[in-house]
Order: sequence, then C-alpha cells, then structure tokens
Amino acid sequence: MKRALPKALFVCSGGVSIYKTFLKLVLQFLLINVFFFLGIGVQQLTQFPIPGSIFGLLFLFIALYFGWVKLEWVEAAGKWLLAELLLFFIPAAVGIVQYPEMAGWNGFQILIIIMISTILVMGVTGIVADFLSKRRKEDSK
Amino acid sequence: MIYLIATILIYIMSKRIYKQYPKAYLTPLLVVPVVLVTALIVLDIPFQNYEKGTSVISYFLGPATVAFAIPIYKHFELIKKFMVEILSSIVAGSVVAVLSSFFLGYIIHLSGSFMTSIIPRSITTPIAMEVSKTIGGVPALTAAFVVATGIIGSIVGPHVIRLFSLTSPVARGVSFGVAAHGAGTSKAFEFGDQEGTFSSLSMIIAAGVTLVWGNTWIPHFQHLFIQ
Repeated sequence: MKRALPKALFVCSGGVSIYKTFLKLVLQFLLINVFFFLGIGVQQLTQFPIPGSIFGLLFLFIALYFGWVKLEWVEAAGKWLLAELLLFFIPAAVGIVQYPEMAGWNGFQILIIIMISTILVMGVTGIVADFLSKRRKEDSK
Repeated sequence: MIYLIATILIYIMSKRIYKQYPKAYLTPLLVVPVVLVTALIVLDIPFQNYEKGTSVISYFLGPATVAFAIPIYKHFELIKKFMVEILSSIVAGSVVAVLSSFFLGYIIHLSGSFMTSIIPRSITTPIAMEVSKTIGGVPALTAAFVVATGIIGSIVGPHVIRLFSLTSPVARGVSFGVAAHGAGTSKAFEFGDQEGTFSSLSMIIAAGVTLVWGNTWIPHFQHLFIQ
C-alpha cells in the first residue's frame, strides 16, 4: 500500500514532476519529524512541563533563524500540515462521545458559558491591542 | 483501517461542501465530529476502537505543532515590531479566559472534573491537554471544550470584531488567536494575511502563557474556590 501509492501517482501523472513533488513533501515531513522527536527527547530528559512538540517548535525556529535549516527545506510540508490542521483534531473531538453528560441541558449550558467567555476574551484582548497600537501611532506623529 | 479511511473521506467531503457553502455551521470541525459521533452511537462502536484506528491522524498533531515555527520565522520582523501590543493583550486575554471559564462554570454548578477541565479551553489542543493534566483535569474532556471553543469562536468572532470596532490588524489577529486558537486563526486568515499571521503567533504565545499559569497561580486559585 505504502509503496503502491507513489508508484500509482507516477504512472498517472506520466511524468517525473508529481512524483518529485510527492517525494519532496515526504522528505520535508521527515525533517520536521526529526525536530519533533528531538523535542520529545529533550522533554523526556528534562521532565519540563512543556509538551515535546513545543520544544520541537523552538528548535525548528532556532535552526531556521541561524540558517542551519533553509526555509525551502521545510516550507512545503509545513504549509500542508497547517492547512490540514483541522483533520488532526477530529479524533480528539470525537472523544466527546465518552461524555453523555455533554448532551441535553447540561451540554447546552456549557456551550453558552463557552460563548460568553469567548466573547469576553476576544473583547478584552482586542481592546488592549487596539488601544496600544493607536497610542503608538499618536506617539510617532 | 476502516475508521481511518472513513474519517479522512468524511473530512474531504465536508471540506468540499464548506468550500461551496462557506457557512460557519458547515465548518468541517463541526460537521465531521457530529457525523462520526452519530455513527459511533448508532453502530454501537466503542470509542477506544475508533481511537486506536485513527491514532495515525492524532500523531500528525505533533509535527503540525512543530510546523508553526515556519510562519513565525517568516514574519519575525513584523512580530518584533508589534511585540508590546501582542504580549500585553495576550497576558490580559489569557487571564480573562481562565477566570471567566472558571467563574461562569461556578455559576452553573459544574462538577469538579468538568470545572477543572474547562479552564484551559481557549488554547490549542495539545497544550490545553497538557495544562489539563497538570491542574488535575481530564485531557479528553478538555479536548472537547477546546473544539467547542474553536467552533464558537469562529462563528461569533466576526460579530465581536464589529461590536468592539476593532480596526487594527494586530488587534483582530491577536483576539482570534487568543480566544479561539487554530479554528479562530483560520477565520482570521479570511480577514487578511496580517490578521492570520498575528493570530497564529498569538495562539502559540497564549498557549505558552497559559502553560505558565497552569504551573503557577491556577492551582492556588483552585484551592481557594473548590473547597
């Protein structure tokens, strides 16, 4: 199955370009995974209360910043991962099925408080940022 | 394997429908879980089986989190320029998120595990689950609240922006990122590239800040109110 897929793509496209794009994506994905595992390793060693993936994010950023990793080496796979982010959340979201308490009146109340809280958070955050950015504009005048 | 294929197929179909009819209630983040939850209940499939079958999908969350380094690196100059706005509003927003979730839950008499699990609901799933573990919540329940927050945030977000007449791209972006993580960020990109960039960055910083809260004042705060 794993081998058949790129082969099929190769035959369908009748050319090298799609095959190459696919290979590039896979290699870039593997490189991102190297940073992911590096992050997990460091988390395991230090027992720091931060998920390994966040360490991985930091390491990748540092590597990009100092030019150890070129943007072109990870950009395509990164774009794909972020574009399909919603898909990766779905199994976790389906986990709600384990909590029948979330159905009915109780669940409805919870949704309402999430809505009120979300409006408050967006409002406060936005007003603070807007205020500071307007003040900066006036300062520079 | 069936669960994996079914999830991906339903996701692809739902994405196509959303492209044709971009209504907030048709977002794949809402439609796909609803379809799958209904299927699991109707066909009487235990969640553990589904979870095992789709663990590959969940694995991708890790590399995807790492990949956020890329937009941050690309827009680092812009971020440095607006650092003060970004950091202050994120600190304010993340405190409001924790306190308002807690007190509103208190008002409707949420039970202990629900109350604890709802606290980190405004940040991105992997870190929210981590914070939940730290403060004694149920990570799976937190994941459900996080998803609900994302869906609600992307529906009410544009109205909130109008209500508070937020005009600067930094304010719009940061408020989406802090209040509604990834789902909010994809909505922010509909406003513009700058809004989206600020949103994705804020979502990461907000997660980091909340992680710090989870290891500092939140446990003391819980102690004060839950007993």
